[in-house]
Amino acid sequence: MANFTINSESIEVDANPNTPLLWVLREHLKLTGTKFGCGVGLCGACTVHVDGNSTFACMIPVSAVEGKEVTTIEAQSNPAQNALKEAWVAEAVPQCGYCQSGQIMRAANLLENNPKPSREDIVNHMRTNICRCGTYNRIIKAIERAAEEV
Amino acid sequence: MTYNKPPIQSPKTTRREFLQSVGITFAVGSTGIVGACSLDSSSEPNEPLPSSGNNTISANAWVTISADDSIKIMYAGTEMGQGSMTTLPLVLAEELDADWENVNVDIVSVHDPVYGNPIRYTYYGFPILYTAGSRTLEAYYPVMRQAGAQARKFLLDTAAAEWRVPVAELKTELSQVSHTASGRTLSYGQIIELAELPDNLPLVDEKEYKRQEDYRYLGKDITRVDVPGKSDGSAEFGIDAQVPGMVYASVLRAPVEGEEPLEINDDKTLEIDGVIDVVSLPHGVAVVAETVEAAFWGKSALEVIWSTNSPFRNVTQGETLDTYETHARDLTFSTDSPLWQNVGDIEPAFNEANTVVEEMYRADPAYHAQMEPMNATANVSDDGKSAEIWVSTQTQSLTVMAAADTLETSIDKITLHPMLIGGGYGRRGEYQAKYVDEALLVSRAIGKPVKVIWSREEDVKDGIFRPLAAQLMRAAIDSEGKITALQQRVATPSVLSYFNVPRWKLAEKRDGISMNGAQTSRYDIPNIRSEHLIMDRGSRVAAWRGVGTSYTRFANESFIDELAHREGADPLQFRLDLARNNPDGKKVLEEVGLMADWSRKREGSALGVALSDYGGFSVAAGIAEVSVNEQNGEIQVLNYWMVIDAGFLVAPRNVNAQMEGNVIMGLSNALKERITISDGIVDQSNFYDYQIMRMDEMPDIHVKAIINNKSPSGVGELGLATTGASVANAVFAATGARVRELPLTPDRVLAALRG
Ligand code: FES
Ligand code: FES
Repeated sequence: MANFTINSESIEVDANPNTPLLWVLREHLKLTGTKFGCGVGLCGACTVHVDGNSTFACMIPVSAVEGKEVTTIEAQSNPAQNALKEAWVAEAVPQCGYCQSGQIMRAANLLENNPKPSREDIVNHMRTNICRCGTYNRIIKAIERAAEEV
Repeated sequence: MTYNKPPIQSPKTTRREFLQSVGITFAVGSTGIVGACSLDSSSEPNEPLPSSGNNTISANAWVTISADDSIKIMYAGTEMGQGSMTTLPLVLAEELDADWENVNVDIVSVHDPVYGNPIRYTYYGFPILYTAGSRTLEAYYPVMRQAGAQARKFLLDTAAAEWRVPVAELKTELSQVSHTASGRTLSYGQIIELAELPDNLPLVDEKEYKRQEDYRYLGKDITRVDVPGKSDGSAEFGIDAQVPGMVYASVLRAPVEGEEPLEINDDKTLEIDGVIDVVSLPHGVAVVAETVEAAFWGKSALEVIWSTNSPFRNVTQGETLDTYETHARDLTFSTDSPLWQNVGDIEPAFNEANTVVEEMYRADPAYHAQMEPMNATANVSDDGKSAEIWVSTQTQSLTVMAAADTLETSIDKITLHPMLIGGGYGRRGEYQAKYVDEALLVSRAIGKPVKVIWSREEDVKDGIFRPLAAQLMRAAIDSEGKITALQQRVATPSVLSYFNVPRWKLAEKRDGISMNGAQTSRYDIPNIRSEHLIMDRGSRVAAWRGVGTSYTRFANESFIDELAHREGADPLQFRLDLARNNPDGKKVLEEVGLMADWSRKREGSALGVALSDYGGFSVAAGIAEVSVNEQNGEIQVLNYWMVIDAGFLVAPRNVNAQMEGNVIMGLSNALKERITISDGIVDQSNFYDYQIMRMDEMPDIHVKAIINNKSPSGVGELGLATTGASVANAVFAATGARVRELPLTPDRVLAALRG
């Protein structure tokens, strides 16, 4: 049993405490926007925020978010996230799209801490997240665009 | 505009019901006999229709207009990021003069040859739904135009009859017909209520098609229908399928291909909370559980003794490649495959040559590294003879056919829900997909819907790879320094014979996946021979982005460079001279040279160029700027320029995205991607030992497309093939060291530097 907040709603989950948060989100709560890519913290597809920090959901057990605030791509009212989602469409970032929830969550964390990032800041921050389709240039442009908006 | 997500858990509708439930459906054929929608269509889902000949498009139901003015357009490809789920319906909508805002795109989920890709006819005897080789836009473009034009003509004729005015006085715009003289208008939805659909709609002459300068959507940057859902987490990929009552399975597979479980100890597995059952499969052991985590934990707790008699146990990659190389070098050796390309006669040219140049190029296998690991969800009926499948696939047709094979049933018993694809690149185009089979077999065994998810480690270890290859390049040079003959001997397995057995049976030993790019029609060389030496495969093999071109063009474009340097010629000028009868190729070379400022000498870096055609009529030239650290052998790609000609650009911004994607995936592969196999076991397992290019490693990428009005051609894999050779050529220009092995890892660069 774990109690935490998910996208501003309190929730109680009946799962083995060792279950990676990723599977609790995706298969217990059916919040499938958060993706499974590598399971070991190497790709960033599973990026969510825990108490405002970007975190690999595949790497932490659900017990570790007890009492904490988890934010996923499904959150509606996060200003940075919303600006990024719009910028993602405006710049037509996604190709296959599979990595993009993680990219947006990672970028949201950047904008929250550094509202006007330089290109170098963006690249250094985003290197944790792989995109096999090669949308990196568009991601940079979309983050720059969102930074103008926030 | 929207697209309809594939229904989850919807009752199976037959195509007949489906057609009856909508307004008017138009149909098109290219044979001149065009059937209207035929509400009493004899074509049930998944039943191959006889086709009357090559390049025949049978009566196809593509567009449905409803009285409420909504328009539904069918999309028969699969969307994996290349954008054709938008561009194809958009072509139809343009020709129909439809209002795109009210268009819904529906993905065809049945294996129905009326929706088959016209150029995929010859392999199976009927057209199939198969998205690969960057041939979707090129192949369906004429179909979509005709379908839109026919529907528009019908609407115009109907309005003209209603108003009793000549058709010539009417015009269409945004789903409306109007008569300017009288100021009357009718929406398309209103018109279909007046209409009696004839049995046959006449073929519209191409001359009546909309003129390009009148296009509202094509050539502009319309938002792709799949982009919004991929920007807010709502897009549903295969792995996202949720079926009521579903359980999970994780499979422990034999470490070596061809082995089977002999003894299974599942005591510890069955103690794990949530584990329901353990199911033995021919190639592995599946743990079924109520939760995905319990399935994975249960798998880790299994103890299995495997058989040890598979011939694949003896496979060790370096040795395999050495054997390939020996065969490629032995000019008397051949296998029974027909020549891949044969122009003129190379024998006299080699006999009379002043000089014969020979070089060997090698390539390691490559892994797709698609971000969505393999997965499938299946629900098999109690009698084991029907199934619903939710899966990301590049081919509706083959998935349905193979599932029917597995369940020993007929294809009409398989209901497919094609999901969005988290990276295809060829990985999801195989005939017998193991992940689908696993879901089917486990579901049948336990009588419940099952979702099978592969871990990343399984996805690598059980991967199907772009094959390894050893290629001998030979050239005959006459006394004036002219290339009189070119020979390419490609020792590599047949991909098709593993990846797509039914197609291989019809391919007459011509393997269009393994050998793609081993032809040299872009240059004016009088005698050319290209041969496939079909090798035993040391691993499972697959199509990979660009199929064969990533290694075949690495070899032939590196070799052209070597010939240029031998002659003391500038590599770009040398290619331009050779491409004298290839205006498209010449043009992209000239343009990319200008873009990169080719003749300017750089301090600490150098340029390399390569040319490659691909998929239909597309052609690309790429230039890499690299600097090489001669101490540690590391290559850094600083800039990449690429110019393409893919005909008329239906979606220019999307073309740019595809070009960038090709450059990044190609460079990633050329610089560091390498699968190795020891004693039949894949050595790599996740993104730490199979690294792919990250944002901070990418060069500045500069892309440009030649603007012209030729028929559009594919871009999904275009240009990838230029990357390996252009980098190798640039490394030579920078250091004088020639690396002839893919990937160009630091140890190989150091070895080449030491000579
Ligand atoms: S799935 Fe968590 S980092 Fe890759
Ligand atoms: S968009 Fe396909 S992996 Fe990033």
